[in-house]
Amino acid sequence: MTDAHFTPAMISRRAALALPLGLATLRAAHAAPEPARGGTMVMIVHPEPSTLAHYAVSAGNIPMIATQVYEGLLTYDWDSKPQPNLAKSWDVAADGKSITFKLQTGVTFHNGAAFTSADVQYSFMEILKKFHPTAPVVLAELTAVETPDAETAIFRLANPAPYIMKALAARDLPIMCKSVFEGTDVMTNPTANKPIGTGPFKFVQWERGQFVRLDRNDKYWKPGLPYLNRIVARFIPDAATRSAAMETGEAHFAGYSAVNYADVARMKTNPILDTTTKGYEMTPALSVLELNSHQPHLDKKEVRQAIAYAIDRTFIRDNVMFGFGQPATGPLSRLFTASGLYTDAVRRFDVPDRLEIANKLLDGAGAPRGADGVRFALHLEVNSFGEQWLRQAEYLKQALAQVGIAVTLRSEDTATWLRRVYTDYDYDISEPFLSQGIDPVVGLNRQYLSSQIRKGVTFVNNSFYSNPEIDRLLGEGRTEIDPVKRGAIYQKVQQILVEDSPLIWLVDVQYVSIFNRKLHNHTTGPLGTYQAFETAWLEK
Amino acid sequence: MRLLRYLGHRLLLAVPVILGIVVLNFFLIHLAPGDAASVLAGESGAATPEYMALLRHKFGLDQPLSTQFYVYLLNMAHFDLGYSFRNDSPVVGLILDRLGPTLLLMLTAFVVALICGTLLGLVAATGRRTWRDPVISVISLIAYATPGFWLGLMMIVVFAIRLAWLPTSGLDTVGADNEGWDEVVDIARHMVMPALSLSLFYLAVYARVMRASVLEQTGMDYVVTARAKGQTEIRVMLGHVLRNALLPVVTMAGVQAGNLIGGSIVVETVFGWPGIGTLAFNALQSRDLNLLLGIFFVSACLVVVVNLVVDLIYVSLDPRIER
Repeated sequence: MTDAHFTPAMISRRAALALPLGLATLRAAHAAPEPARGGTMVMIVHPEPSTLAHYAVSAGNIPMIATQVYEGLLTYDWDSKPQPNLAKSWDVAADGKSITFKLQTGVTFHNGAAFTSADVQYSFMEILKKFHPTAPVVLAELTAVETPDAETAIFRLANPAPYIMKALAARDLPIMCKSVFEGTDVMTNPTANKPIGTGPFKFVQWERGQFVRLDRNDKYWKPGLPYLNRIVARFIPDAATRSAAMETGEAHFAGYSAVNYADVARMKTNPILDTTTKGYEMTPALSVLELNSHQPHLDKKEVRQAIAYAIDRTFIRDNVMFGFGQPATGPLSRLFTASGLYTDAVRRFDVPDRLEIANKLLDGAGAPRGADGVRFALHLEVNSFGEQWLRQAEYLKQALAQVGIAVTLRSEDTATWLRRVYTDYDYDISEPFLSQGIDPVVGLNRQYLSSQIRKGVTFVNNSFYSNPEIDRLLGEGRTEIDPVKRGAIYQKVQQILVEDSPLIWLVDVQYVSIFNRKLHNHTTGPLGTYQAFETAWLEK
Repeated sequence: MRLLRYLGHRLLLAVPVILGIVVLNFFLIHLAPGDAASVLAGESGAATPEYMALLRHKFGLDQPLSTQFYVYLLNMAHFDLGYSFRNDSPVVGLILDRLGPTLLLMLTAFVVALICGTLLGLVAATGRRTWRDPVISVISLIAYATPGFWLGLMMIVVFAIRLAWLPTSGLDTVGADNEGWDEVVDIARHMVMPALSLSLFYLAVYARVMRASVLEQTGMDYVVTARAKGQTEIRVMLGHVLRNALLPVVTMAGVQAGNLIGGSIVVETVFGWPGIGTLAFNALQSRDLNLLLGIFFVSACLVVVVNLVVDLIYVSLDPRIER
């Protein structure tokens, strides 16, 4: 599962070809191939986005297209450290309460308007802060963007907000053109589905149900880029057909697990295809079980821990996720290891005698087995976002039966499921898939703060978890700018949460990209599919 | 003149039918739990109460149902199908985009099924006690019993992946910029598999109905008379039996034309065909009510028109039916 250029099989094949031709050819074979210009890259995006209003909707299928058109102030290197993009340099004040950005000059939007600090100010204060779904968390501290001159934008923050510097890529906070939006209603702006940005590709056409076509921006500000003439994002509803389109070479790239995990093994044996799990380092996500602590039995910590012990996460990883991902240890993804926030020094549920412990905990919690071996019965709400979740639910039913909990599965469509779980609270266990955002302030706060018990809001605290110490720690973590102190806060948070087990954490999700070997330089950073294919090129 | 009056009468009858469908659908849809805002917020992965309130206000979901109904009727009276907030575009445009491909696929499948089914039925019926009848019966039984999506997937494996004769999916080759005749050929190549998998089931149905119908007619007195006149077997079949035997097939076809509009969802999904079926399915999943109502309205109109056409064919086949 590595990038094409480092696949041993490929090197040895090249070497084998080169051998009879002598040393010169061998040297050429190992040199980086020269990028070719032109060509149309076809990528599969699934499901088809409903809108391209990237500034107001944060659904995961939009940025694959939108980040080709819109750019952010920053981009990130493989260590998730900020790199210049529309901002060529930046300076965070010592007190963490202001950030000064120096902007690139000579950048124009696709409509010809020049890019200046006024666009940054307007994008953040008038569009993103007011309409972006995560703004109330990520931009809560942003009070003003000052523009002393056309090349300088100064962010003013009410309190330090260390996570903002991680959220300035096009995926999270794109820059729009002020003159396109000024004086219009942002929510019904005509560029919602005809985006205008500064990016390497211009929006041309969206044939609903078929494709979005993006053409090369000939006036792109990065000299010589992009290499591709055109990107076509195709929409194919059926999973088997998506795989077939990759196998026949009709499509060159399928990111974000657009190809089912079940098909990936077959793809690997296809000589024209290769796979990579790179490019998802800034897209942490966990599959979890939410437990409704207002239901009998689930209100007891011991019962929740017993459920956590009863589940074999490695089995789920191997059989439901087809070997992709890692068994989860707690509420944070391992992708937060580099930033010092993640810890696995928590209560571990993957011990050898986990079933005995689970049974003992349940006995102690006043839930003895009945004559039929059943302690009590629960309903499990099946995640509606794909077949694999039904498979996971079927495993969970078996796993919990081992410790005497009878589980009934209930499958409903998305709208009904979300309403039952987040509005009516008429559920025992739900198995959602939670994206964690760029920082724990996104992923942890909404799930575990007592203030996030909000009826009718999806993917917030619906387990009714309320712990004053967690509330306090998460509040501290939000504004702490010293990375070491911040790490200690979140490690403490993980230990407490795992002990309380308001949720059960199953798998650190790992996405996978399938690509045609003719396509090069497609995955160039931790945002992978969520950043522009400006240096990607197609072999002739 | 009589035909025109008949047509006018039928069209007049269609108005309350369509109106009834529209009103009924409006209230039926509102019985479904969940709303567009929660689905949209769900897909976003993160949402705040402020964001969801903003969405509900924008979609008009914070209005009472009676107000929503009034606004809807008012729009319909102006032939305005409304705005799909989820898709950020007017409903009419979304539907018109899909109508062309839907009709193209539907009509092709319909014509193929009708012509081939009728011919096969005729061949089977006239070839009783030869190898033709059992072979055709077995083939039509298999086609009848095979699910369309499975057939579609198998065709993709064989014809797209293994043999590489046909493209896997889509309406045309994206980015090829074909023009004129090239574009027609390109679309036709893309349509072979979806049209076949959509038509095969109906083809089998028509073949079986036609076979039974022809057998029934050949025992009639007028056929004996025709034979007694000394007409050749082919003339008896084409001149006398065919026309009468077609009536049950046309009846069947009229009923199934409606199914083809909605029933193509599966085939559309497998082949990534941009049709109305998947649009409706997605609209339902995401509770995009304006779009869904618009689709219901358009498909109701389509079914009414198709039924009218079938009735006219009926009349021309059997003038006794017209009153």
